[in-house]
Amino acid sequence: MGQILYAAATIVVGVFLCVAYFWGSNALLDRALPMKGPKAAANVRKANAIRPWLFLGPSMIVLGLYLVYPVFNSLWLSLHGSGGRDFVGLDNYVWLFGDAKFLESVRNNLLWLVFVPAMATFFGLVAAALTDRIRWGNLAKSLIFMPMAISFVGAAVIWKFVYDYRGADQEQIGLLNAIVVGLGGDPVAWITVPFWNNFFLMIILVWIQTGFAMVILSAALRGIPEETIEAAILDGASPLQIFWRIKIPQIWGTIAVVWTTITILVLKIFDIVFAMTNGQWGSQVLANMMYDWSFRAGDFGRGSAIAVILMLAVTPIMVWNIRNARKEGN
Amino acid sequence: MEGHAGQKAALTWAVHIAVVVLVVLWTVPTFGLLVSSFRDKDQLAATGWWTSLAASEQTIAARTDSPEAQAREGNLWVIRGNVFERGEGRVASWGTSSRAPAAFGPGETADLGDGETLAVEEDGSYLLSASAEMTGSRGQRIYVQSLVPPRFTTDNYATVVGAEGIGRAFLNTFTVTIPATVIPILVAAFAAYALAWMQFPGRALLIACVVGLLVVPLQLSLIPLLRFHNAIGLGKGYFGIWLAHTGFGLPLAIYLLRNYMVGLPKDIIEGARVDGATDFQIFRKIVLPLSFPALASFAIFQFLWTWNDLLVAKVFLGTSDSQLVMTGRIVELLGSRGGNWEILTAAAFLSIAVPLVVFFAMQKYLVRGLLAGSVK
Amino acid sequence: MSRILGSSALALVCLSSIATAQDLPFPPGEGGFHWDAYEALKSTDLSGQVITVAGPWLSQERDYFETVVAYFEAATGADVQYNGSDSFEQQIVIDTAAGSPPDIAIFPQPGLAADLAAKGFLVPLPQATADWVAENYAAGQSWVDLATFPGQDGSDALYGIFYRVDLKSLVWYVPENFEDLGLEIPGTMEDLKAMTQEIVDEGETPWCIGLGSGGATGWPATDWVEDLMLRMYPPEVYDDWVANQMPFDDPKVIAAIEEFGWFARNDDFVAGGTGAVASTDFRDSPKGLFAIPPQCYLHRQASFIPSFFPEGTVVGEDADFFYFPSYADKDLGNPVLGAGTLVSMTKDSPGARAFVEFIQNPIAHEIWMAQRAFISAHLGTNAELYGDPTMGKMAEILRGADTFRFDGSDIMPAAVGAGVFWTGMVDYAGGADAAEVASAIQATWDGIK
Repeated sequence: MGQILYAAATIVVGVFLCVAYFWGSNALLDRALPMKGPKAAANVRKANAIRPWLFLGPSMIVLGLYLVYPVFNSLWLSLHGSGGRDFVGLDNYVWLFGDAKFLESVRNNLLWLVFVPAMATFFGLVAAALTDRIRWGNLAKSLIFMPMAISFVGAAVIWKFVYDYRGADQEQIGLLNAIVVGLGGDPVAWITVPFWNNFFLMIILVWIQTGFAMVILSAALRGIPEETIEAAILDGASPLQIFWRIKIPQIWGTIAVVWTTITILVLKIFDIVFAMTNGQWGSQVLANMMYDWSFRAGDFGRGSAIAVILMLAVTPIMVWNIRNARKEGN
Repeated sequence: MEGHAGQKAALTWAVHIAVVVLVVLWTVPTFGLLVSSFRDKDQLAATGWWTSLAASEQTIAARTDSPEAQAREGNLWVIRGNVFERGEGRVASWGTSSRAPAAFGPGETADLGDGETLAVEEDGSYLLSASAEMTGSRGQRIYVQSLVPPRFTTDNYATVVGAEGIGRAFLNTFTVTIPATVIPILVAAFAAYALAWMQFPGRALLIACVVGLLVVPLQLSLIPLLRFHNAIGLGKGYFGIWLAHTGFGLPLAIYLLRNYMVGLPKDIIEGARVDGATDFQIFRKIVLPLSFPALASFAIFQFLWTWNDLLVAKVFLGTSDSQLVMTGRIVELLGSRGGNWEILTAAAFLSIAVPLVVFFAMQKYLVRGLLAGSVK
Repeated sequence: MSRILGSSALALVCLSSIATAQDLPFPPGEGGFHWDAYEALKSTDLSGQVITVAGPWLSQERDYFETVVAYFEAATGADVQYNGSDSFEQQIVIDTAAGSPPDIAIFPQPGLAADLAAKGFLVPLPQATADWVAENYAAGQSWVDLATFPGQDGSDALYGIFYRVDLKSLVWYVPENFEDLGLEIPGTMEDLKAMTQEIVDEGETPWCIGLGSGGATGWPATDWVEDLMLRMYPPEVYDDWVANQMPFDDPKVIAAIEEFGWFARNDDFVAGGTGAVASTDFRDSPKGLFAIPPQCYLHRQASFIPSFFPEGTVVGEDADFFYFPSYADKDLGNPVLGAGTLVSMTKDSPGARAFVEFIQNPIAHEIWMAQRAFISAHLGTNAELYGDPTMGKMAEILRGADTFRFDGSDIMPAAVGAGVFWTGMVDYAGGADAAEVASAIQATWDGIK
């Protein structure tokens, strides 16, 4: 009970403080540089120069502190030893590129990078195209979109249950093994099969992200001008031809946006691997390896070096994103 | 003509079937979890959830009363009792050796050697008799197979909510999520407005920075930030995690809101400017109300993200009962109760119930906000 | 509304009063406990002070520990907040590095404590405490040595007190199932291996092995390898290996790993087949002993495992254990592998110091001893208090040991002992080559020197 009051009180106080800051600072500015009187024009100019920074101030402070500073801190740490005191130059990076587990993580991250965005976008596209054609499409969309609301940890429980394994002499309670046994096969401990277990983990993320892709792509498909499609129908094109030859090229830009959004998420993938395999049986990924070295081995130098590599990997996507934003801005 | 119509109908059917297949594939894992969380824990561990409507055969290990309970009947020493603790159930078969637990049918008598015999009836009553006085401190083991009708129960939820501390974790999660959703919206809305409608040098660069920050992996911020929190005396606690979530949520918030605000009709805002309204007034009276869909959409996003987060909570909150959140609790359960599916399924379903409700109730806004951010 | 509030408040009051009654299950003054030590504790007044303790114990073990803590709270008035975590090893690294440590940390691995001590995150204990441990613990000096590490300034000091001792070299079984199969407790490793084959010949599965442990998956296999190292070679070899004076990929180590493989990498020998070894949680693994019909007949695990037996299992009757035997043809005597949890101060405060004092108090040991799954090396405790008779048998094994060695993976540096050794053994159980696994582990060890 006390905790609820505490939370409620902070919300009220926090919101009040935020509002007070914005309202107060603006009022102060208006008072200091009044829009009336002899210097009105100059005052307006000055006020217009200052006001954006009043609006942006809190965001910039928080962003600088919570995202920009850590980036530089990691760069600095990655050049230091495990305790963060002695300078070791590029040793951590040299070690990294000779480490088998790191190379495995890079390979796995690449696998994730190819498989997850491709499959999620593909299923999203198929689902979008199909559900738009039927009356109960909205219900179907809701159900396919639903995994988006489920946490990675919740998803891990759900899928551990699907992949559950018991010896061949016992009754299987995992769905996948029950199907395999039902078809006359032998049960398999899915998440421990090296290499292929990566795909069993990726399926979870595809399952989560397909709904996102579907919703965006469905809106884009609806945005295609009717005339284009009608013209194609008159030309005698089959529905499949229309879809692949006419519709897809039209929404190519949106597909790229969906693809990159999922790609960014995939690069940072941590929770699913952490909860399902913890990187064992050859399923390590960069973010989990970084967590391992920083927090399990207590070596912040190496952990940060992995983080820096991860950031470098994200950079091309970041640049592409910024370019796009610039284009939009104009 | 007819052939064409037939083809079209077939195609429509194909679409229906394809969508049904997709929907089933996407919902079955969650559905399995839901069904399992209501099953009796013995049945859950024994058979797959898809068989939950069928009666299942169960083997229980019972034990006769200890030799202390033996009574003299004629020239025999006997112990009587019932293998079912609650006295209900029907014996399908039984045995005394773990290797052949179904060796005997109900009503049959087993010779245990040394003049001892055991008989178990269909209703579970047994008769153990011996020609000499029985010794030892424990009774004879009896394995009993009985057909158990399907049982559904809310006990799993009761166990989880009470003893396993999920109830408290549920409350903690709310304490984290609500301020962590409200604060970034406020801060971001002002910044988004400035980036969308105010003129100042470096605006394009700032927008680029925000977009760039979208992709920074947050794992690398954990240690420096926790250090910072400790340095300024904030330590681990709710206040710190609110700030952290605010920081991590801001780039997306600013990005989504700015994209939406840029699309608002220009003449209304310019008109207000001409009428002498300050930017603060324009923001408060025009832009904020018009941006409601985007605000709602981000709120849902941030709520789902903070509710579902594990890593940030692990670092910025303690693990005491008063601070452990749902996801953290479930991960602990995964670790300490690896095979107790009845606990795991109920706990997991509890944790996804709130996001699902929020999600289905607010889906319309979520989609609108998503579209504002992505389709351009 | 107010009535509802009132009644729930009443319910709360009732609940909390019940809770306190449960908190002290052994009424002070009764039984063979050292209540005088408990009374003496009352002179320390810590009312209002909060002491945070972080440790690895969860579920039942947490309950046992919390009953111990309740006595400390009752006597001193302090408020002890114990946070058990499945990922304790990571949590403590984060918390100490960021400057928000608990007052007390309970390390399942001295190696991790050594890492943190070297970084200056642990508070050294005075020489007097070291002397006390040397005098009052069975084999006292060895426990002092195991908890003595170089600190940040490089000088050696005692950094903790061992609280719970675990005996690793045990094989658990269900006596009645043994009877059904006509099995006898093996006296030598050769007999154990013959028995393994015998059970297979009977059409049954001998072993339950589970390596799963969340973030620590793989450690049960390291215990196997250590136990086998001690049985295959003289203790000096073991010491060299643990200190990395003998490389990890030495043929001797590889042979020990492959000896573990003899048990674990044979589909006929392990319940569920080799695929189940790495994916089964170590806490679920012993449940196979109690299944109907039994999934396995033997389970090698440390003394704490009864905490994870099915509810109502009576240790000594429903389940029992025997010493993991040594090879008859090696003539190395009977070595014993053990481990212990180390109570260290991560923050210097009067409360933390009082808690470390409390750990030296026999009552802190006796309360847990009287429950389940606890062995104490404290000589001042009343051995009659052990909650189940098997504890006495374990103490006997400990006494009868020709060699006692501490769990090697717990002493190795964290990156090895709590890292690649674990993951390497998981890889090995999954089919990787022993020599390759061993040289990968050695490579990591080289990398952190």
